[in-house]
Amino acid sequence: MEIIREVLSPDFLLRNSIYVSLLIGLVCPLVGTYLVLRRLIFMGVALPQISSCGIAFAFALHAWHVVPHLEDRSENTLAFGGSLIFTLAALLILTVLQRRFSGLAEARIGTAYVLAGAWSILLLVKNPYGEHGLLDRLRGEIIAVSDTDLAMTAAAFGIVAVLLILFRKEFLLVSFDPEMALTLRKNVVAWDSLLFLLIGLTVSMSVLSVGPLVTFGFLLIPPLIARALARSMVQFAVIGCIVGVISAFAGFCLAYHWDVPVGPTDVALLGVIYLLVAGTQSLWRLSQRRAVPHA
Amino acid sequence: MAVGYDRHAVLSGVDLSITRGTFTGLLGANGSGKTTLLKAIAGILQPLAGKITFHPPATLGYVPQRDQLDPVYIFSAFEVALMGVCGRVGPARRIGRSEREQVHQCLEQTGADSFARKRFAELSGGQRQRVLIARALAAEADFLLLDEPTAGIDAATTRSIMELLLRLNRERHLTVLMVNHDLAAMRQYAGHIVWVRDGRLVEGPVNEMLRQDRIAELLHLQFS
Repeated sequence: MEIIREVLSPDFLLRNSIYVSLLIGLVCPLVGTYLVLRRLIFMGVALPQISSCGIAFAFALHAWHVVPHLEDRSENTLAFGGSLIFTLAALLILTVLQRRFSGLAEARIGTAYVLAGAWSILLLVKNPYGEHGLLDRLRGEIIAVSDTDLAMTAAAFGIVAVLLILFRKEFLLVSFDPEMALTLRKNVVAWDSLLFLLIGLTVSMSVLSVGPLVTFGFLLIPPLIARALARSMVQFAVIGCIVGVISAFAGFCLAYHWDVPVGPTDVALLGVIYLLVAGTQSLWRLSQRRAVPHA
Repeated sequence: MAVGYDRHAVLSGVDLSITRGTFTGLLGANGSGKTTLLKAIAGILQPLAGKITFHPPATLGYVPQRDQLDPVYIFSAFEVALMGVCGRVGPARRIGRSEREQVHQCLEQTGADSFARKRFAELSGGQRQRVLIARALAAEADFLLLDEPTAGIDAATTRSIMELLLRLNRERHLTVLMVNHDLAAMRQYAGHIVWVRDGRLVEGPVNEMLRQDRIAELLHLQFS
């Protein structure tokens, strides 16, 4: 309780970090529901990795003197640009390949993931400027968040959340039954593009703030927990967001208490919740099955 | 007209005219291009050559193969039927009470109101089909396009679905175009048959097309 009081105090030194954690806990699961519904879970793994490769590439441009020395603010903009361009390019290429060629989509996504991971390391190793900050990001350290970074993250996530809620009807229709949507004269390509743009923006902002591991964790684990508990699509989205926010807050408090990195603590906590929910459901089903012969 | 995928024509030289208010069966062997033709008429696939026109303009109601819809979505039957009104309700606008009421009526007409609150993925094949037909009606369709609506469904349910479609065809003057493999059902309910064979269409009234000797001829040509 003492830790919670301290964390919630307006004078708390790391208050921006916890605000960013809560924003990610709220918005990533909302976006992640579409990755789960469209069976793009592997994409949810690969995109944050590709996004961090984009950040590493942006920092490498600086090291290679392709771009001049930048102030902190401009450096962040450069990193965001790299992250967003890599994420959207990967989404575009993988989606086009999936539509044009029947082959194994998982193989392409897996290859993209491995290559992005390898290139991130190679770019980091050869970068004397960005290595320290980037390694912190990859580990999921959420410590130094400036007021400007917080405002930018809040604005970007606010736009994503508002558009996802506003166009929920359209996004669900083109995801569930694109053929029906076409017969209703909906522009399926345009709606898909907008949805992927929002996914790309969320992944980029999140990776820039908390790294690929935490982004992946919040994109997928809360929706998977919600899918197991929800009885409707509204519940699916709401439970995912609640699980995300609670895990982000509890994870932050535990990490602060134990003096360990916040990101991995959040993801580990999500894993524990997922195991508890899945275990309870399995036990429930088992008890129901055993009850049938006696009925 | 030519239809197909990725610039590869499955059917070419297609010249087909469907009269309003008719009940037409689209028959042919697996992989002959029936579904491709149906999707082209529905506007899901763009024709590779030529064009499709409706005189006067028609509102289409497409009923896909029910197993095509992913059970991972937690939609109730009502919510699935409600999607039919999305063509009339603009982006970012909420679906109003009148549209919801209309969807309830469509579910009633198809005999699906009793399980409207149940999860769509947990319904039987026949129940799902009724919901998908209700969804097409909710779109205020005057032209129903159905892709194998009775595949894998038992005889009694098949009969009730075909009776429902015939009633909609007669009472609401709905044009029905249906891909089907069930010759007996087609003989009983359809008025016109289009047979897809060797990349071409053969068509005519049901009595002529589904005569024993004609079927033998069509099948013989197909397998020769």
